[in-house]
Amino acid sequence: MDPSSSTSTTTSTSANTGAGTDKLLVEQHVAYIQKLGENKDDLTYHLTAHLRLNAVYWGFTALSILGRPDALDREEMIGFVMNCWDEEAGAFGAHPGHDAHLLSTLSAIQILVMQDAMERVDVERVVNFILSLQHPSGTFTGDRFGEQDTRFLYCAVNALSLLGRLDALDEGVLGEGVLGEEGVVDEEGVVDGEEEEKGKGRGEGREKGREKGKGKEKVVEYLQRCRNYDGGFGRKVGAESHSAQVFVCVAALAILDRLDVVDVDTLAFWLAERQLPNGGLNGRPEKLEDVCYSFWVLSALSILNKLSWIDEDKLTGFILSAQNAESGGIADRPGDMVDVFHTHFGIAGLSILGYPGLVDLDPVYCMPAHVIERRGLRKGWKALERRVG
Amino acid sequence: MSALKTHPKVYWIWNHRMWCLEHIPEGPGQDAETIFGWKQKAWDRELFVVEKMLDADPRNFLAWDYRRYVLASMPVPRPESAELVYTSRKIGANFSNFSAWHQRSKTLASLWGQGKLNEEKSREQEFELLRNAMYTDPNDQSVWMYHRWLVGTDGSKELLNREIAAIQELLDEQPDSKWCLESIVHYKRLLLKNWVSGAEAGPLISDVKSLLHRLEQLDPARRRRYRDLAHELDDDGTRSKQ
Ligand SMILES: [Zn+2]
Repeated sequence: MDPSSSTSTTTSTSANTGAGTDKLLVEQHVAYIQKLGENKDDLTYHLTAHLRLNAVYWGFTALSILGRPDALDREEMIGFVMNCWDEEAGAFGAHPGHDAHLLSTLSAIQILVMQDAMERVDVERVVNFILSLQHPSGTFTGDRFGEQDTRFLYCAVNALSLLGRLDALDEGVLGEGVLGEEGVVDEEGVVDGEEEEKGKGRGEGREKGREKGKGKEKVVEYLQRCRNYDGGFGRKVGAESHSAQVFVCVAALAILDRLDVVDVDTLAFWLAERQLPNGGLNGRPEKLEDVCYSFWVLSALSILNKLSWIDEDKLTGFILSAQNAESGGIADRPGDMVDVFHTHFGIAGLSILGYPGLVDLDPVYCMPAHVIERRGLRKGWKALERRVG
Repeated sequence: MSALKTHPKVYWIWNHRMWCLEHIPEGPGQDAETIFGWKQKAWDRELFVVEKMLDADPRNFLAWDYRRYVLASMPVPRPESAELVYTSRKIGANFSNFSAWHQRSKTLASLWGQGKLNEEKSREQEFELLRNAMYTDPNDQSVWMYHRWLVGTDGSKELLNREIAAIQELLDEQPDSKWCLESIVHYKRLLLKNWVSGAEAGPLISDVKSLLHRLEQLDPARRRRYRDLAHELDDDGTRSKQ
């Protein structure tokens, strides 16, 4: 239900006992997010240390979309982000003292871009860190020990684009060898019979690295190989389509200006079929609805300009019904515990749906649209027109 | 294993297992054969663990990914056809297991591509399997998605007509089946795209339009998709007249 991390450990506060409501509870959500960092004695605070920087990104983006970016202290936030810098690797970890990872590095850059504080970052070191995680096949791992996953590919493409260094993919700049010779698992492919020689790719190959001038092409080729007959994309070659992976792959292709790779009608049909009778969206056929898919599915539909293929009123109703009126925050579905992850993706979904009073969200970067426009990075997506409340 | 039971969707646990497998010690034996057997046993055990996981949660996509990884990495590869037996067991237990259908489509494509299986004969067997599944639960989209894959985008006119007739039979029994209607629309649009034009196209177009109209009523959440498809037919009609 939570494709980008383990929901079981995502920060959660209180059970959702309050009955749903048909209005977005802006004040309660702002208060809920403000309180998240306060209770450091809370066990869940420590359990979620590996997600901390992501959680700050989720909370801050949600506040920005609610029109309240000042609800968290700017200096404190930037200070925390910079404390997550891993000097050895040249990128950001999820928490001070943690090893650098692509997920937290993207979150850090997104936060710093939103706070207009990019001058604090050693851009070239971050670029080298990202490039060092690209595999000869074109895809990425999240860190030196990690597994390949199109999520990390998206993190890499998004971060490079925000850094204004997307072209670095084609420059043939090798990283500083953050990746050791061992411990990198090249495990893809499997049943589709057209894989590179097995065993060879394991561990080695990194130093041979990316072919000069071909980084972008390799990324696109890899995404093409992840495409399934239902139009969707999976985590790696051979994997089943999943709407979170559809978002990351479609958004990466949008950033690379290569949406021609997408079979729009088939994929948009598959995405529209994610809507269930109660209005919520699921991640795959015959699975349960979940608020976070409001973003994964909607963002992809918005990039493909097919938002009209689902029922926005029913989906809006479903997201609102998963709010907790007492504690603030949004859960994965009505009656469950709220957490910052679902709060963020619920609000992001509502923004794409044109919910009154919200700030426009850029579905490609999952950041406020005006921030992306200012950097000249806006792509041709379409959201629903903002309604007047 | 206990970590997997409590958090079967946490990525790093799977990843750690993978790392361990890549670094299996050589084992107690001295000669190459013993070392090999030792490693193979570890991979066999891994396949057993992942099958237990898929018994408990048949749609766990991390477990399926891991299964594909184990199968591709075993020192002595299992014949791919064994995966057909495995997926038909999973599908037999529950037709809605799209993950198993997905795995099956990948396995078949690979076997056909390598010429290890008679494609024509095996396609017909798959249609047979689907026929049962459709009648068991006509609302299960896993089955219809797989059917769409099996027919493909370049199916012959005969095949398209045969499948349309078969689905029509089911539709006559279940007149409100959205997936029967959706699939007939899809295959008739393929006919129009690849096989039928001119005077023959007219009745087919109005047929598809009335099916789309019924879908709008049966499935209002996606009404605008059905309208878009109907408009496309208008546009195509205008274009061919000009
Ligand atoms: Zn979720």
